Amino acid sequence: MTTVDQPTPVLSAFRNTDLQTQHTVEQFLYAEAELLDDYRFDEWIDLFTDDVTYWIPNRETRPIRERHLEVAAQDEAAIILDDKFFLKGRVRRITSGISWSEEPPSRARRLITNIRVQPAAKPGELDVRSNFYVYRSRLERHQDWFVGQRFDVLRPADPASGYPFQIANRKIVLEQTTILAPSLTTFL
Amino acid sequence: MVDLNELVDSDRGRVDPRIYTDPGVYERELEFVFGRSWLFLAHDSQLPKTGSFIQTYMAEDPVLVVRQRDGSVKAFLNQCRHRGMRICRADAGVSKTFTCTYHGWAYDLEGNLINVPLEDRAYKGNLDREAWGALKVPRIANYRGFYFGTWSDETPDFEDYLGDMAFYFDAVADRFDSGLEFTAGTTKWVIDCNWKFAAEQFGGDMYHTSISHASGPIALTDQQVVRGDPNLVQGRQFGGDGHGSGGYIYPERNMPPNFFRGQQEHEFTEDHLDEIEARIGDTRMKKVNNHNTIFPNFSWLGFLWTMRVWHPRGPNQIEVWTWSFVPKDATEALKREIREKAQRTFSPAGVFETDDGENWTEVQQVLHGFKARQNTFHVGMGLGHEERNAGGLPGVTNDVFSEVASRGFYRRWHDLLVGKSWKQIQKEEAARVSAIPESQPELAEGAR
Ligand code: FES
Ligand SMILES: [Fe+2]
Repeated sequence: MTTVDQPTPVLSAFRNTDLQTQHTVEQFLYAEAELLDDYRFDEWIDLFTDDVTYWIPNRETRPIRERHLEVAAQDEAAIILDDKFFLKGRVRRITSGISWSEEPPSRARRLITNIRVQPAAKPGELDVRSNFYVYRSRLERHQDWFVGQRFDVLRPADPASGYPFQIANRKIVLEQTTILAPSLTTFL
Repeated sequence: MVDLNELVDSDRGRVDPRIYTDPGVYERELEFVFGRSWLFLAHDSQLPKTGSFIQTYMAEDPVLVVRQRDGSVKAFLNQCRHRGMRICRADAGVSKTFTCTYHGWAYDLEGNLINVPLEDRAYKGNLDREAWGALKVPRIANYRGFYFGTWSDETPDFEDYLGDMAFYFDAVADRFDSGLEFTAGTTKWVIDCNWKFAAEQFGGDMYHTSISHASGPIALTDQQVVRGDPNLVQGRQFGGDGHGSGGYIYPERNMPPNFFRGQQEHEFTEDHLDEIEARIGDTRMKKVNNHNTIFPNFSWLGFLWTMRVWHPRGPNQIEVWTWSFVPKDATEALKREIREKAQRTFSPAGVFETDDGENWTEVQQVLHGFKARQNTFHVGMGLGHEERNAGGLPGVTNDVFSEVASRGFYRRWHDLLVGKSWKQIQKEEAARVSAIPESQPELAEGAR
């Protein structure tokens, strides 16, 4: 069903995806962003597979020769490393009405761009990279920007769900080493 | 102009909110409070080999903390003596020398100036390299693998500075035969609030937890959260020498697994019960494992395995630097469990921590008002109900829902700020402590 062409066997950043796949992936990510922007967290959480890992690793400033150490490994510091159970827990908390860092809730708008698709290791799954620019406004005049890249694995979903994919893995790499925000309670 | 003497009245439990906002007070506290206190620099495990370094701060001053060839740890101001450039600009790494990227002056692992480009032609023999090394942190204490530094030669030795807090710090720092290690990497974020809100709260505030963090447990369990009656819960709070430590008292040396305490941690504790008891004793296993601050800005939560420094960034902002810590000989599975729990609860996305930042930023915002700053804050909880050496806990303690630690924190802060000598500060502290009544037997009973 899905055809994704790699034009050369060398390490090229160029990924050519058939129009239909590209289109479907993009519309899926936009739909996901819409659920979050519109506070539809209970529907959003269903977009994740039960075996998902949702991970925001720590990041530090390193010289070029140590750049491979810039983004933390999984046994190092992270901002979030959740499975489905705890990701669900965050949704439960944020919608509880007593979660004071999101009650009253922040307003957020997600811009998802630079969507690149290629086949994943497992047949049928897709490796999808996207860039995001998330603006959050909170209370009277507080504002934050969260900018970074997502590394998603998308798995075909039951069409009855209304969505073509589920997210089977998400790694989020932020551009900031020191998070210039008092809290990261906005889902990325 | 603010009258420094009027800012804090610990005898009555009152503080003037301008201690959180006034630029003049802030400038003075950098020099008189931070400049005369022991500040946390690094843990042994962050500097695994010769040349390992981290860049950190002593208040606003950037310092490089470096593992030396002889295994010791030294620190120096990360500022080139030529024109003030930051000498090293990586957060961490391993290096043999540090070369300033402005004009190329190079420093060794101790901060000595060892190379100057074009030295003969440019300086013609007139540069005394020995005199122009980086500014060294003159005093560094290694306390059970935790390195603290101070610029001041007047400040008492670290153990003396800790006072009775050593007992409470050891409950964590000296708990295991194998010692502790930090998870690699420092998680950092920024909160627009004065550093004292954070430092004081971690030393002395169990009162806020069930309200501020009402939603925290909801994220950790899908079961109904059953809350005990806070009127019945047992707990003590220690306050002394500006430090604070407090928390609930547990009936057993090991707690059954629950949403705060994972299976791995429960099993590890079970396997190490005798070891832990031999090291810290039954009292501390049950009574000391919650919130703590070593004055001025190093804090930890024992049972949530998180440590942090609240670096001041002007009167209205802090950088929070956090690490989770684990027993060195823990299994990979336990290390993972602890790390994830610490991250999940106390980090910029922590389901508890984010509530704290929300409070402090709002408090700071409100203080823009002139009326708000002319107000007086109440730090009088439990005033007059202090006891000495209650229930096997050394020093001055009070109910867990009290502000004995906060009053002590502000007193020490204020004494340093106004410029009292350390000698005088310690003399007054000793007199105050000895005037507090020894514990009553009923209390010792109740606190058991
Ligand atoms: S400022 Fe460092 S060499 Fe000139
Ligand atoms: Fe808190």
